[in-house]
Amino acid sequence: MKKIKSILFYLALTVCAVIFVYPFYWMVIASIAPENEIGSLTIMPTSLTLSSYAQMVDKIPIGGAFINSLIVASSITIGVLIFGSMIGYALSKLVFKGRDLIFYIIIFTMTLPFQITLIPQYIIMVKFGWIDTYWALIVPYLINALSIIMFRQYFKSIPDSLIDAARLDGCNELQIIFKILWPNSMPAIITIGIITFMASWNEVLWPLIVIRDESLMTMPQLVTLFAVGGRAESQLGVKLASAVMLALPIVLAYVFFQKYFIQSMASTGIKE
Amino acid sequence: MSRFFINIALLILIWLPLQSCNSNNKSSDTKLIYWCSNNSYEIQFAKQLTEKWNKNNPNVSVKYQPVPEGRSSEEIILAAVVGKTTPDIYSNMWQGDVEAYAQAKVLVALDTLKGFIDFLNERCDSEVIEEIRSLDGHIYQIPWKINPIMLIYNEKIMSDLGSSGPPQTYSDFFAASAKFQKDVNGDGYIDRWFGYSEVLVTWWQRFFDFYPLYLAASGGAPLVKGDKAVFNNEYAIDVFKFLRMLYKKNYFSREQLSARQDVFLAEVIATRFTGPWEIAHADKFKPKGFEYNFSSMPVPDDHKGPIYTYGDPKNIVIFKTCKNPQAAWEYVKTLIDRNGDLKLLEFTNQLPRRKNINTDVFFSGYFNKNPKMKIFADQSKYVRGTDASPVLKEVFDLISQEYEACVIYGTKSPEQAIKDASDAVNLLFLK
Amino acid sequence: MLLKVITRKKILPYLLVSPYIVHFLLFVAFPVVFSIVLTFHKWNIISPMEYTGFNNYIRLFNDKTFFRSIGNTLMFLVIHIPLQIIVALFLAEILNQKIKLRGVFRGAFFLPVIVSGVVVTILWQQLYGFDTGLFNRLLTGVGLSKVGWLTDPGIAMVSIAVMATWKNVGLYIILFLVGLQTVPAQYYEAADLEGANHWQKFFRITLPMINPTIFMVVILSTIGGFSLFIEPYIMTGGGPLNSTVSAVLYIYKQGFFYYHMGYAATLGLFFAFIILAVVMIQKKFIEKDH
Repeated sequence: MKKIKSILFYLALTVCAVIFVYPFYWMVIASIAPENEIGSLTIMPTSLTLSSYAQMVDKIPIGGAFINSLIVASSITIGVLIFGSMIGYALSKLVFKGRDLIFYIIIFTMTLPFQITLIPQYIIMVKFGWIDTYWALIVPYLINALSIIMFRQYFKSIPDSLIDAARLDGCNELQIIFKILWPNSMPAIITIGIITFMASWNEVLWPLIVIRDESLMTMPQLVTLFAVGGRAESQLGVKLASAVMLALPIVLAYVFFQKYFIQSMASTGIKE
Repeated sequence: MSRFFINIALLILIWLPLQSCNSNNKSSDTKLIYWCSNNSYEIQFAKQLTEKWNKNNPNVSVKYQPVPEGRSSEEIILAAVVGKTTPDIYSNMWQGDVEAYAQAKVLVALDTLKGFIDFLNERCDSEVIEEIRSLDGHIYQIPWKINPIMLIYNEKIMSDLGSSGPPQTYSDFFAASAKFQKDVNGDGYIDRWFGYSEVLVTWWQRFFDFYPLYLAASGGAPLVKGDKAVFNNEYAIDVFKFLRMLYKKNYFSREQLSARQDVFLAEVIATRFTGPWEIAHADKFKPKGFEYNFSSMPVPDDHKGPIYTYGDPKNIVIFKTCKNPQAAWEYVKTLIDRNGDLKLLEFTNQLPRRKNINTDVFFSGYFNKNPKMKIFADQSKYVRGTDASPVLKEVFDLISQEYEACVIYGTKSPEQAIKDASDAVNLLFLK
Repeated sequence: MLLKVITRKKILPYLLVSPYIVHFLLFVAFPVVFSIVLTFHKWNIISPMEYTGFNNYIRLFNDKTFFRSIGNTLMFLVIHIPLQIIVALFLAEILNQKIKLRGVFRGAFFLPVIVSGVVVTILWQQLYGFDTGLFNRLLTGVGLSKVGWLTDPGIAMVSIAVMATWKNVGLYIILFLVGLQTVPAQYYEAADLEGANHWQKFFRITLPMINPTIFMVVILSTIGGFSLFIEPYIMTGGGPLNSTVSAVLYIYKQGFFYYHMGYAATLGLFFAFIILAVVMIQKKFIEKDH
């Protein structure tokens, strides 16, 4: 009896899991199916074809967009890690006037909805002449309040004695951050790194606003405009192919680093 | 200590891009940049005429460039205006965009250039000139080309239905639609419709349904005048009533029809509201024995007078960043004089917005070879572009929303829908 | 020499936080102030700014579509948040048991979370298609009639909410798992001794203990939900009949399609206040002190 209950239980759980995975499977299959079969596709098409991908590559510079996304997301992630740890260190280990004020300001900015700052931020980009440049995509995201808070929290747990010893050895502050703290903060760095990279890779509203030139568009942006505009000419396969391409990099990273992804998300929850 | 300076250097590195970029070289007075569209035929047109000009005018060299790829050419121009990287001459500006740029003072007032007014009077009739005049009285654009929207129809189907010709009035249209409507494969769903218009709420879709019908019904009346909506009238209501009935009775399909096959050539529909670009496409892909022709837009039964339509006008402008507008104008003249206009027809099969082009002997050779284009040329006397307003996109967007509610979903009466659209537009002009 | 060391030590912290100060002034302080200034002006980027007093506010209060968009966003939240909590909690409870292949199931649920919203939207747009979409084909396959998932004004927003739940629930399952694991096992054991059944244990022990997690899930979903933009933008463009225009989509359209910068700033400011108000209400009613 218990065995049957157990089998039913796992069956139900599998059905749930399938609900979350099958649509992706369908998307991939549909992108390699002949166009006229997509409307009737469930498990397998009668034949496989790469024509949707060929057409997509023909119509939009998806490779260029991938490179753009890579450059932007990497730069932001590196910047956030560097600046976040610098500021998190100052707030956690150094004593100076105004330290607590800055901390509260950071907390406050986290509660500020972006809907207020969106328009003026765009105008600043216009005034600086950064529209249609990487600067507009990268600079506003280089400093991230959450990362500062997380680094500060993590550094607090690192014993002061370690830092004092380094100082006695003649290390200056930057060396302390990057040579002493970083190696001892790998969980925090991985967590913040993954979250930042993922968030900036998937960011689409801001690129839609500041980038008009196709050669600079990020991947989600290009795929969005492709799906919404007329270029795809109502061909479903091509749209799905572009969606697959957009999903691929992150999914590949996920498959290899699943443990870190999930841990990262879980720990943000704890920090709140 | 060195770390200290490295920190400073890092900070400077961040500040560096904040220095003003974009200091253009002071080019000599005689170099002009002309942006043409990236339509391959127009590029050929630009190439030939620019080469001819450069040969004859060694001290004023013009370089033509197709508009860069991007979201849309309107976006590209806006980005150029904002970034102050505008070309000297641009030839694909939609008439509806001009007023906003004129008010922003980025366009040259062409009526201040020598020889402009005379040339304009020779090329265009007074109605057109008034149409392109900006709200401040100046003229900032030169009418270049139009693509009038007309009714394409399948000749064989019309004769099969017993009609003597294409439907001219709304009643004719309904009668023919009822006869043509069929469920060919017997699955209980209609699969033959008399006509088709994309059921899109996007603002520019109205240029293919509501707006040409409105112009036809009203004899070319405006939608907005200055800062008031002036379309709350019987004509707009009649058009909404007409379209609503077509969808209600399923004479037009509410579902999006497949984009892979051309439904007109496949005889799934018998008519469509379309422009001259259809000719090349139809002639290339039509099945054997397929005959089609064009006629004017349908009008209300009690309509009197000529039948107008929308012409999707694209005009030429000169940006204020141009260092020698007079020279630019001299160049532009060669694009739109008789020779230039003929070349435009021959290269691109698009109609120059020139008066009497259907009777002018200079062009008769072309029209004899392209009889279907002649129909559009005849229509060109009764073509309207857009009203001068800096918020035209939004006007059409507001109309589109009422269109969706009334025509597609039938949740509002045409009278109420037109009134709501009119009120919403007036709210736009709140001073 | 000593002086140099001391002054350097004093300046150093400020040097370290200076990037933040610059960033804050440039991307937070200035925008907020400028935003307020902008609400009293009319500006379309290409013309000079024009002072218009309270016109933008007058326009806002007459803007039926804007209030519709706020209503749409709230409706989205009202459907999405409870649905999300119920599903996430349910699946988290299950995963919390000793089951085989837990990592595999957890990984499956989490997959939609990492993928871009763009991908999910394009995919679901096809699934929701009226004629050839998978869902309607399944319905007609079992003899039911097709549903206008995205073409029926009454259903479209619900469809988007369901899709959003599918996408995000994996994240909240993880968060609930973490929360569930903080409940000491002794509480359940004590309840077992008293003969409590599963539901009693759930409502009397689990729910109160994970209240902080529930609160956090609600806040995160709310803030995320208020940012709803790319899904309606791609899927429906705001239709049918403006039933899926989210507030951010409407603000985006006003600012970056019509270039009514002043008006868009006004909308943004108003909407930001609404968000803060909702979050504060939620804090009052949901968060409980221990």
